[in-house]
Amino acid sequence: MFDAAMAVVKPEMKSYIWLQTVDGSIQQVEEEVAMFCPMICQEVLQTGLGSSKTYAISLPQRVNPAMLGLILDYCRFHQVPGHSNKERKTFDEKFIRMDTKKLCELTSAADSLQLKPLVDLTSRALARIIEGKTPEEIRETFHLPDDLTEDLCQEEKLEPLRNITDDPRIRLLNRLYARKRKELKERKKLKDVEVEEEPKDERSVEDLLSFINGADGDIKGTRANKNKKKNRRRKDHAKDISSENTNENDKELNPLPSAYHDVNFDNALEASASKHSRTQNLPAINFSPKFEFIDGDVDDDLDPAMKEELDREVEDFARRLNSDWPERMQILSLGQDRRLVPISMNSNGSTHLYTGFDQR
Amino acid sequence: MQRMAYTFSFPEEVLEHVFSFIWNERDRNAISLVCKSWYEIERWCRRKVFVGNCYAVSPLMVVKRFPEVRSIALKGKPHFADFNLVPDGWGGYVCPWIAAMARAFPCLEEIRLKRMVITDESLELIAKSFKNFKVLVLTSCEGFTTDGLAAIAANCRNLRELDLQESEVEEDLSGHWLSHFPDSYTSLVSLNISCLNNEVSLSALERLLGRCPNLRTLRLNRAVPLDRLPNLLLQCPQLVELGTGVYSTEMRPEVFSNLEAAFSGCKQLKSLSGFWDVLPSYLPAVYPICSRLTSLNLSYAIIQSSDLIKLISQCPNLLRLWVLDYIEDAGLYALAASCKDLRELRVFPSDPFGLEPNVALTEQGLVSVSEGCPKLQSVLYFCRQMSNAALHTIARNRTNLTRFRLCIIEPRTPDYLTHEPLDSGFGAIVEQCKDLQRLSLSGLLTDRVFEYIGTCGKKLEMLSVAFAGDSDLGLHHVLSGCDNLRKLEIRDCPFGDKALLANAEKLETMRSLWMSSCSVSYGACKLLGQKMPRLNVEVIDERGPPDSRPDDCPVEKLYIYRTIAGPRLDMPGFVWTMEDDSSLRLE
Repeated sequence: MFDAAMAVVKPEMKSYIWLQTVDGSIQQVEEEVAMFCPMICQEVLQTGLGSSKTYAISLPQRVNPAMLGLILDYCRFHQVPGHSNKERKTFDEKFIRMDTKKLCELTSAADSLQLKPLVDLTSRALARIIEGKTPEEIRETFHLPDDLTEDLCQEEKLEPLRNITDDPRIRLLNRLYARKRKELKERKKLKDVEVEEEPKDERSVEDLLSFINGADGDIKGTRANKNKKKNRRRKDHAKDISSENTNENDKELNPLPSAYHDVNFDNALEASASKHSRTQNLPAINFSPKFEFIDGDVDDDLDPAMKEELDREVEDFARRLNSDWPERMQILSLGQDRRLVPISMNSNGSTHLYTGFDQR
Repeated sequence: MQRMAYTFSFPEEVLEHVFSFIWNERDRNAISLVCKSWYEIERWCRRKVFVGNCYAVSPLMVVKRFPEVRSIALKGKPHFADFNLVPDGWGGYVCPWIAAMARAFPCLEEIRLKRMVITDESLELIAKSFKNFKVLVLTSCEGFTTDGLAAIAANCRNLRELDLQESEVEEDLSGHWLSHFPDSYTSLVSLNISCLNNEVSLSALERLLGRCPNLRTLRLNRAVPLDRLPNLLLQCPQLVELGTGVYSTEMRPEVFSNLEAAFSGCKQLKSLSGFWDVLPSYLPAVYPICSRLTSLNLSYAIIQSSDLIKLISQCPNLLRLWVLDYIEDAGLYALAASCKDLRELRVFPSDPFGLEPNVALTEQGLVSVSEGCPKLQSVLYFCRQMSNAALHTIARNRTNLTRFRLCIIEPRTPDYLTHEPLDSGFGAIVEQCKDLQRLSLSGLLTDRVFEYIGTCGKKLEMLSVAFAGDSDLGLHHVLSGCDNLRKLEIRDCPFGDKALLANAEKLETMRSLWMSSCSVSYGACKLLGQKMPRLNVEVIDERGPPDSRPDDCPVEKLYIYRTIAGPRLDMPGFVWTMEDDSSLRLE
């Protein structure tokens, strides 16, 4: 309709350039405005196109009618001589107030028209949007896929969630992650020697846990490290725990100065244990009594109804953990009202992801 | 169905252009972790790389990941090396980095090093390998001589910046390395030779200054005599930053008038430093330019309080002042009255090993500055007495502090008014200064101060602790509470195994942890090294192998840092790395 109306009116003093966008629509633009775009200017000079509707200049695919409208608004203002720098700056500041998606489209379109001042303006605006954000926030803002982590070995995805709010469900999920990591590691242990190494590791972690939960200042970890076990029978576990208790009673090398400190320390360490304890080296079917203690602790926090619901959630998590990773990510993102981020936000992740470049 | 990602219609060149407007390292790191395509684009357009610990990543890893680097900054030894706590020969060698970059980055332009060991051979390699080399900054570095500097001078035709701040240089006595700058060389913008002990060739220096029209920063060494300074300044009146040499000579009227004229001729001077061995009667020569000064570093200048007051009272635009404690409370009172834009104050001790105070500097000086300087953000303050009341006042006055380093010279000094620990005072600092990033503790402190720090220090990145705390609980508060902690250095505190092991995972989120003369056992170090493969746990023991002692024996010095490069290959005999179990290492 607009084109038809324009056809009726005879062009008088002004010259016009005809432009066609990828969807086929054609419009007539003042010559000095259109020529402000280097790409259009170049096309006119080289090919002679643009002088009529029949010979309209075809614009790049990235320029849709909406973006072209914005770009022409920008050119209309800036091609006029006589604006002060302040006026131009004010115009620019208002001009780039738009949502991120539109800003991206505009940057891309301006780039295809080689309109460098506008590309710089929008690029700076996008840079300001990016600054100060975490990778997760950037992905959210720009709707980008979390595909970088898919390249990592699957185990890296099973880093414990940061349990800032001490949510029992996150603790349970971390336990499931630990089991999964355990399974993955077992698949990698092809050598008998490595299998034999496992008992020591298991014991050490166990001691670390009892370390964390112990009331006294005994440094059992150092003692435990010297013991090497050749088998993994349950009886030996019981015996070793018993002997540890004996050692515990025999040595109190670093008693804490006061009962008050004891209480404070235990409470603080308990909270820390729920955040930091690593159980990936424990066999999935062979939890230590200490670990059971933690489990019991979880049970004590929940009423029966909530516990039942939580059990269903745990089973659901377990199923998802064993699904293919792309499917798992999709399930996780679709199935949760509250999104659980599988990677610890404070972690630097794997070797591949490690930037290692700190603020100096 | 996943929504269409914007990048489908967003060319890589455009995204690269967007990234070119982002310079902050942390933001660049965040970008590289967003997704596959951003990782690739970012790594190819990264021009500047900062490595906070040269052993955290190997040179080859950096070279492979960032092929187009133009500028690199590296740090080596722990910060406590500045206090002689790190043994000579510990490490921090830059040679492998220079060798790798010489092969991979022929277009490298800038190298900045701090607390690293660099040899003349490395300097010669730099001089020959990088054809457009522009910037060499060596801060607190060692291992090189003026021969290496001569190679840089002779071969780097585009050199703009040569900065030897606080470095230890083995000097030949002739001082002629400056003559190796070719007569055709004119591009110098910044020259800092303040750390050199011997005389340099003044005639070569004068010719150099005269032919470099863009020189902005000149920091001379002590040996440059005062009566030659006017001639040097006449060659470069465009200077913005000047560090003088010695600031005394026998009294001659023409020296003063020449000096005053030379200073007056420098219309753009904003920063002064140097002033070794000040003769007070020559200080008025700088009065004509005082109103322009924004930075004054008098930390080598022995100037009495009354003379300092006269000088400072004429510098209303100071943003930064470094000074010895000769300034005393009276001088700080004058500073508070005059300098309303002050952002950074550092007061150093003139007699740190004296048993009695040699100056009248107390907590009241700092209190008056906190009252009078509304923009104060950064404080380093050596003194002999402090009180909780003063710290409360400072915290209330200046909630915008980001760096607060208080060094009460005698360990375990209590509040001098109440004889109580200084817990509540430092507690007030961390509680009210919500943007605090760096904190140094001193004085008598119990675990309670660490509870404050763990609770309130959410933006704290660096913490220094000495002779403080009661038990493991103190360290536990810090490690479990300070979410953004990057560097933690501890000496002579009763912190042991429990807190360290309970927070083992925290250490992977930090750049480094130093503990010396504490209660960490060798057994705990071994356990930590075994369970945390991405940490290098280094036991430093010059007495001999730690294995020769029981596992529960405390280690003398412990340095833990995260790394993706594994154990380093250049360890001296007195450093033992607690190796992880090979069966646990992921390939």
